[in-house]
Amino acid sequence: MVGNKATATAVKLARVQVASAFPVTPQTTITEYLSDMVANGELDAEFVNVEGELSSHVVVQAASRVGARTFVCTSGPGQLYMHHPMHQTSDNRLPVVMATVHRGNKGMMPDHTDLMSQLWTGWMQFYVEHNQEALDTCLMSYKIAEDERVRLPIAFGYDGYVLSYTAEPVEIPDQKDVDDWLPPYKAMPSILPDEVLPENLGGRWDRSDPQKRWQEHHEAIVNAKDVIVEVNESYGKKFGRSYGNGLTEEYRTEGAEAVLVAMGSLTGTARAAIDRLRDDGLNVGLVKLRCFLPFPKEDFQEIGKKVGAIGMIDRNVCLGHGGAAYTQIRNAIYDLEERPSVLEFIAGMGGKEVRVDDIYKIGKKTLKAAKSGGVSTSTEWV
Amino acid sequence: MIGIRIHGRGGQGAVTASRLLADASFRDGKFSQAIPMYGTERRGAPLVAYVRIDDVRVRERELVHEPDVVIVLDPLLSKEQSVASGLKKGGLLILNSKLPPEKVEIAGDIKIATVDATKIALETLKRPITNTAILGAFSKSVGYPTMESIEKSIRKQFPGRVGEMNIAAIHRSYEEVTPVVQATHTEPVVEESDIAVGGYGVLKDVSSWRVFTPIIDLDKCTGCRSCWLFCPETAIQWKDDRPEIEYHKCKGCGICVEECPVKCIAFERVVV
Ligand code: SF4
Ligand code: SF4
Repeated sequence: MVGNKATATAVKLARVQVASAFPVTPQTTITEYLSDMVANGELDAEFVNVEGELSSHVVVQAASRVGARTFVCTSGPGQLYMHHPMHQTSDNRLPVVMATVHRGNKGMMPDHTDLMSQLWTGWMQFYVEHNQEALDTCLMSYKIAEDERVRLPIAFGYDGYVLSYTAEPVEIPDQKDVDDWLPPYKAMPSILPDEVLPENLGGRWDRSDPQKRWQEHHEAIVNAKDVIVEVNESYGKKFGRSYGNGLTEEYRTEGAEAVLVAMGSLTGTARAAIDRLRDDGLNVGLVKLRCFLPFPKEDFQEIGKKVGAIGMIDRNVCLGHGGAAYTQIRNAIYDLEERPSVLEFIAGMGGKEVRVDDIYKIGKKTLKAAKSGGVSTSTEWV
Repeated sequence: MIGIRIHGRGGQGAVTASRLLADASFRDGKFSQAIPMYGTERRGAPLVAYVRIDDVRVRERELVHEPDVVIVLDPLLSKEQSVASGLKKGGLLILNSKLPPEKVEIAGDIKIATVDATKIALETLKRPITNTAILGAFSKSVGYPTMESIEKSIRKQFPGRVGEMNIAAIHRSYEEVTPVVQATHTEPVVEESDIAVGGYGVLKDVSSWRVFTPIIDLDKCTGCRSCWLFCPETAIQWKDDRPEIEYHKCKGCGICVEECPVKCIAFERVVV
């Protein structure tokens, strides 16, 4: 099944109660699948048709606030248009789950700019590799977001076209098992102090220290790592599939002198490249960066101790800064006494095709840096 | 692993063909992946789709640059040398063509099989949608997926009568496809041209997209302007109070034929 169908299927399995979305390529078919499921009685939910992404977001925000399990999805420009209410959803600590079907903003084809542009909104972010992982991550997202220790919205992204419209085998868990594992959402009391309710749902509280809510929000995201690890493990026990430790996943890193790091659908292509590198006797491994926010700093510190170089392949670029994950990885390893080199590769922007061969070359370069040492600060556009 | 590239035109069902192939292979116990290449969604525009079939889960996401098999759904594209580009040595080209493979002018160290899928589609489905009408030929020439699995995939994709019509089409193509033969020409006879005449804009010559050509009988025409109004390509001009088709803009969609209230537009199959 195609990526969008996998997502819609997960939404159905999670027994979402309120969904809303405005169709935008390449997310459109999710809205079609969901509308069909609601119309033919497969999914007992309200699917609210709206005139734009601001409205779709506010609909799920309100529904989540009154205790419904909610879903919203979008792509590219729609994601950018939705930006403003996303801040409020996370500030109010509402466990909304969103699928972002990546579409760049310099054209229709995918890169991660849409979701990366939301880094400051206080949402957790996952980037998935294949259609099966889209389905599994959607289910895990509800479990994580609704956990009392977390209470935060989650967006999971997958590359438009590359996954949204590519058909491949996906295993669909039994509804009964999902019901067991993911009981109905029990609304939690509002995180806002009593005195601000009900007049001012989004309002300012604790005027004596306006910064406190920022600190709490930040700490809540950072602390969510434990829950992500836990949920990934329990999903694995129940359904037989898990993804590394939930935050990162290593592939053929044993004895590696260098590792590449990839996100989203590039990871699959990178696996094929790593197999070729290993066949040629080159000790290069792969780390999939699955959870970008909270950033798994500790994982990269562990990896950084073991290898001589890390090659980050970013499918995003913060213009004037560089790749978002590259910056984070360099930041993470700064605490180490002996630091590996970190190399920056920008690939797949605007949907530019990334071939196995391209990643093979990235692997060779990174290995060379591991052997020669030294810090490279130049960016390579693949 | 084998890689497959499918050439067709918007409306011929290349994407559906890729998914049916992937789905049927999965039913046969293989892993598979079907990748559509979406450009502008315009009926008639040339497009491609790709399939990978393997014994283990397919992980790479790049397009299939060196296919083992190329399927061509369109009779005119079946005459283009470009459809063989990238095809592996000894690879197989399955063409929708009336010609026997020995007469095909596409060159290379490749093998060719042909089937008149347009004729089969017109007779079984009553429309020139050739995607299923070529799958039977694929199964026969390549050896898989099994016809049982293709049937199951078709029934899932098109429930009811439409599914049965498509199943009739795959069986006819299974029977009627020619044996696989080595290409007659080793050096290109026809020049390799850019077959990606996609995109918007009425300046491009899209006459090669037509399977049928509309012809207006001006003696019967009442001048009602319906055809002029409905043509999606602005191919119909208004001259001396009568319609005139600018054929380089006409992609042969048949909308004018449908819309004409006095049915004075004939629709004639292009001779290939
Ligand atoms: S078939 Fe008729 S409607 Fe279609 S493009 Fe040609 S003239 Fe226009
Ligand atoms: S629709 Fe038919 S009758 Fe009307 S102008 Fe066109 S050709 Fe003439």
